[in-house]
Amino acid sequence: MQPSVKVVSLVSVGRHPQSGRSRRAEQDGRAVELGLKLASAELTVVHAGNAQEQVLRQYAGMGLLSLTVLEQESDCDAVPVLVSFLQDKRIDVVLTGVRAESGESSGMLPYLLAEKLGWPLVPRVADIISIQGGAAEVLLALPRGQRRAVTVKLPFIASVDNAAQEARQTAFGPGLRADVKVLNVDSVVDEAASQWQISAAKPRPKRIKVVKAKTAADRMKAATAKPMGSGGKVMKDETAAEKAQAIFDLLLEEKVVR
Amino acid sequence: MSDLSSKDSSLDNLFRRDPRAEWIARNRLHPLHGEMLHAGSGEVRGPSGLLRKNPHVIGFIGPNGIKRIDRANVSSAAVGGKKRSGEAKEVQLPLHIVENPDFYIMVVADMVGGRLTGHDKDILGLAHQLVARRNGAVTLVCFGENKETQCDLAGVDRLIHLEGAEYEGFAPEARLTALQKIEAQYKPHHWLFPDSVHGGTDLACRLSARLGERLAAQAWQVNAEQTVCRGASASHDILRDTPRILTLMEECGDAIDETRHQVLPISLDSIEQVSPAVVDKGLIAVDSNAVPLAEAEFILSAGNGIHNWDQFHSTAAVLGATEGASRVAVDDGFMPRSRQVGASGTWVTARVYLAVGISGAIQHMQGIGQCDKVIAINTDAGCDMVKRADLAVIADSEEILAELTRLAQAYSSSKNQEEKSDAA
Amino acid sequence: MILDWLPPTLIGFLLVLAGIGAVRRMNLWRAGQAEKVDILAGLLAMPKRYLHDLHHVVERDKYMSRTHVATGGGFVLAMVLVLFVHLFGVKSEILAWALLAALVLMFCGALFVYKRRMNPPSRLSKGPWMRLPKSLLTFSITFFVLTLPAAGILPEGTGGWILTLVLSVLILMSLSEMLFGMTWGGPMKHAFAGALHLAFHRRSERFGGGRSTGLKPVDFGDGVTIKEVHGVAKPTDFKWNQLLGFDACVQCGRCEAVCPAFAAGQPLNPKKLIQDMVVGFAGGTDEKYAGSPYPGVEVGNAKGAPDQIITNGLISSDTLWSCTTCRACVEECPMMIEHVDAIVDMRRFLTLEKGETPNKGAQVLENIIATDNPNGYSPASRTHWAADQNLNVMKDVKQADVLFWVSDGAFDMRSQRILRSFVKLMKAANVDVAILGDEELDSGDVARRLGDDAAFQSLAKRNLATLSKYSFKTIVTTDPHAFHCLKNEYGDFGSDALKGVEVLHHTTFLNRLIKEGRFNLSPLQGGSKVTYHDPCYLGRYNGEYEAPRELLASLGIEVAEMERSRYRSRCCGGGGGAPITDIPGERRIADMRMEDVISTGADMVAVGCQQCTAMLEGVVEPRPVVKDIAEILAGQLIEETH
Repeated sequence: MQPSVKVVSLVSVGRHPQSGRSRRAEQDGRAVELGLKLASAELTVVHAGNAQEQVLRQYAGMGLLSLTVLEQESDCDAVPVLVSFLQDKRIDVVLTGVRAESGESSGMLPYLLAEKLGWPLVPRVADIISIQGGAAEVLLALPRGQRRAVTVKLPFIASVDNAAQEARQTAFGPGLRADVKVLNVDSVVDEAASQWQISAAKPRPKRIKVVKAKTAADRMKAATAKPMGSGGKVMKDETAAEKAQAIFDLLLEEKVVR
Repeated sequence: MSDLSSKDSSLDNLFRRDPRAEWIARNRLHPLHGEMLHAGSGEVRGPSGLLRKNPHVIGFIGPNGIKRIDRANVSSAAVGGKKRSGEAKEVQLPLHIVENPDFYIMVVADMVGGRLTGHDKDILGLAHQLVARRNGAVTLVCFGENKETQCDLAGVDRLIHLEGAEYEGFAPEARLTALQKIEAQYKPHHWLFPDSVHGGTDLACRLSARLGERLAAQAWQVNAEQTVCRGASASHDILRDTPRILTLMEECGDAIDETRHQVLPISLDSIEQVSPAVVDKGLIAVDSNAVPLAEAEFILSAGNGIHNWDQFHSTAAVLGATEGASRVAVDDGFMPRSRQVGASGTWVTARVYLAVGISGAIQHMQGIGQCDKVIAINTDAGCDMVKRADLAVIADSEEILAELTRLAQAYSSSKNQEEKSDAA
Repeated sequence: MILDWLPPTLIGFLLVLAGIGAVRRMNLWRAGQAEKVDILAGLLAMPKRYLHDLHHVVERDKYMSRTHVATGGGFVLAMVLVLFVHLFGVKSEILAWALLAALVLMFCGALFVYKRRMNPPSRLSKGPWMRLPKSLLTFSITFFVLTLPAAGILPEGTGGWILTLVLSVLILMSLSEMLFGMTWGGPMKHAFAGALHLAFHRRSERFGGGRSTGLKPVDFGDGVTIKEVHGVAKPTDFKWNQLLGFDACVQCGRCEAVCPAFAAGQPLNPKKLIQDMVVGFAGGTDEKYAGSPYPGVEVGNAKGAPDQIITNGLISSDTLWSCTTCRACVEECPMMIEHVDAIVDMRRFLTLEKGETPNKGAQVLENIIATDNPNGYSPASRTHWAADQNLNVMKDVKQADVLFWVSDGAFDMRSQRILRSFVKLMKAANVDVAILGDEELDSGDVARRLGDDAAFQSLAKRNLATLSKYSFKTIVTTDPHAFHCLKNEYGDFGSDALKGVEVLHHTTFLNRLIKEGRFNLSPLQGGSKVTYHDPCYLGRYNGEYEAPRELLASLGIEVAEMERSRYRSRCCGGGGGAPITDIPGERRIADMRMEDVISTGADMVAVGCQQCTAMLEGVVEPRPVVKDIAEILAGQLIEETH
């Protein structure tokens, strides 16, 4: 669209929610997609971590000629190396996902980069509509499909929401042939994180309805009564108006008709 | 800290006899006898004074047309109302008073629509657990319009309410400046944010980056020393020391329900705002039909039983529903493939799923497994969709959709008038 | 006689031109990729392949087979004799008489060709093909007259120079078609290219009653050197003998007549596809194509060149994605052209190089890579269906007589009913059976048909590694697609996990059990009429037509056959990833197949494939009941009480 815009998309190793296997992360894929829309072949895609990671080929298969890897161990902090990579370059836009699918998943990375670089941060971007005259017009994704327009001066960092354009299919051949440029960097071990105890996620208990009853009879009632509203209601012989009214009342009750 | 000044209200719940009513009920010749009997009570005294049960008035007609007897007596509120006349009375909860707090815990609430969300209330409850009977004050920080009338019942000891044009709409930078000011002035023990898409996470991350504190994201088990939070797209639990800033998941704590709180506004020195780098240009009108099917909250879905497609589309528009379709409707070319709901289409998460003329193939039922309320309009009472539905209507779709359109139009026009008269 | 030299000269001249054309044509083929072929053995086997295998296919249309034997046989014989009698001037009355006989034979054949061309069915190409019977007749009459003097029937010099001149003009006309046209792209090209195609066919196993249906694997190299392109992008990326095969097409349109996608109005016509391939490697446009177009696509706009990317202007990718890989066209093709191979080759380029698998294709492939099943279910939930089945798992027992390959039906609630029925039958027969459980992965069928051979090969290799850990004699599966992969395609990956193992479809296996009397069935009561739908991957791909019918017969069911059954069975529309790529047409293939079912008056259609079951059950009710044979059998099982 605007070939003069310099865009960097940061990518991480994702995790498939069902199999737990490494994959192209959902939001990072969208960040690359948005980057390709803005800068086409000029897009720079950067990963901080293991250069041998096969998932990088899946990003490359989106049509990248090359991919930059800041080689470091998995227990290192990605922020300092990315800051030093980004700060000396004339970059207009940095795109990341909202939250990584592996590691701490705190979603802090774009904020820390923005803070260190002194750039504004635009969270949960659905689309970048235009970049003109040193400013960008950006659409933010709000819950339930709503959108908000904002403008921001370049350079800025944006985290890309799931509402953004889906990542294009990754092609095996180009992914295999893309050039992986490995940069040696001075990485810093994330000391704080090494203190944590990490275990597989326990299923969260469903909140049970606590009845604070004053009398024994009330408590008895609460313990024995079947939950209300189960078992569907079937309306057969009423008039059409009554049936429609019943549906409409339910819609109002659920607050989907406003 | 709790003050038990409010009176115990259990006295009001005592069973009170009404000798006159009993007398009338016994006296069949009394002019009010019939009325008294049918006043809802199943309890009748026979001529000899013995308790008589009228089998015809016991129980109620269940959803499938069979008479049910409700031994737990859940549904017969009318009888209870008669017996316990004092139940409707408001209960005055004890007031929790914090004076000259030693420390503060700040809860920055989402306040969607100007009211505390369930999520916000859970976090306020959690904040009180963190106070842990010390002399700390749970402080609610809220921005913009505050319509919440029950802050006292939600556990708000102190309130910082920041209002003004600079905080309206999308204003994370202005809000961050305010939070920094609070940080400087009150040095809170903890900053608690909802881990939500309504702005809580964003603000928490900004504050955390600004203060150089490492936050704990997606925390769900928190006490004063240790925190368990989710990591790696919710597949890991991370156990760590409780940091100063946390973003908390829903149901992280139990909302306050046994005490009232003071809701004392506290002051904040004036804040100097700089003009923000990200400028809000306002909300964009989004067509409900442009909302991705997987995200939609209310889906009106069409199947083989739809014959009048124009009517279907107009009904969806009037109701503000996102359109969905069964595989057959898509195959027949009436709806685009992107609208297909089911195992081979989109798995939807709508709160309300209104299926019109969809009999419910197994793949379709798999796709709507996560929907809260399912409503079916179908001519076949035996189909799977009717069995699954919370409310099923056996009728021709065209008739019902016409009625629904009429109702929705009447509703929105009455609402418009209400707003006008409000404004007047 | 002053002009006597003219006819031999013309014959010689056209022969030379034909020779030049032949070399040119061969060079076009040679632009394709190398492929090892035993040239000599192929040439030696060619007559038998023609007379036996090709004729076997042509024989399905008796009229055409006899016509072709007379015309083709007559022509070949006549042409050889013409060379001796008229070119080399061998003076022999026997030869001349033989030539006359050959020409009469050819003339009779040509008359029937002519008759058929008077009111040709829509599947036949028109254009130059319409003048072919005339050229054939001209050839036979001309040389008949020319040979009469040599046979001693007419005196030398009859008719004088005028007749010679007239004959010479006719020779020029007919031989231009028969010799020059043969190598320069006329209708007679089919004889020249067809003969060589039979000799150098890429799947020589197909001849002599064999079967070769597994796709050829993509060579991904040894991991050190990376190939520049995977799959077929340009016509020259095909193997040379594939290009030769395209040239063999006679445009008879039998493929078009049986193609389910064509009938459904999707933009695919196998005949046009092959002709477009010819346009591609020979260069030019499809303006001269005179057959049915791709439905909804105008003829005349396609341009091709040997080094031009095929989907850039020659054919649209929708054409390639419309194919259900049902192999009906390949089965019907009298020239034994491999349409499905070509389509999948081109799909491989679209998926592996361009990342342009349409509609849900991209998501399905991503799921297959990340979860080993096309719908992205948790790999740990693969055995949930069998929670109450008490089945042995290979991991525990290490060995069993029979390995039940469950396939991805394990995740689908409808298919699970088939699986449970089959398990019930095996239990009744006391079969020593085990499943792989969560160790099983998708067979890779969908990935491969969608062109992602990398994902397929990864799955195949990992499945083979799992299989090699255990010992079993037989693999049985209820899914013909997995059956095909295991039986015909896993052999290419250098594993001996399946060595000595019999791979069976459940209908074959159940039929054996019944013949051994391993369980008892009660006949199906109620006089309901039942028809049977042959799944493509069981029938055409693997030749199993009898076992399902015998099973139904064992229940006392007399199958009311559909008009298109056995090798002519029409696809349900579920193969080749077609429901995933979902190219729009005017009708749905499954609806058409259900019409076939309804026209038999049956109230139940028996199927042997979960994909067919899903597709046919997707047809709007009211329609006949769709049941897998295992379900029907399980319903009639007489359970022994102890």
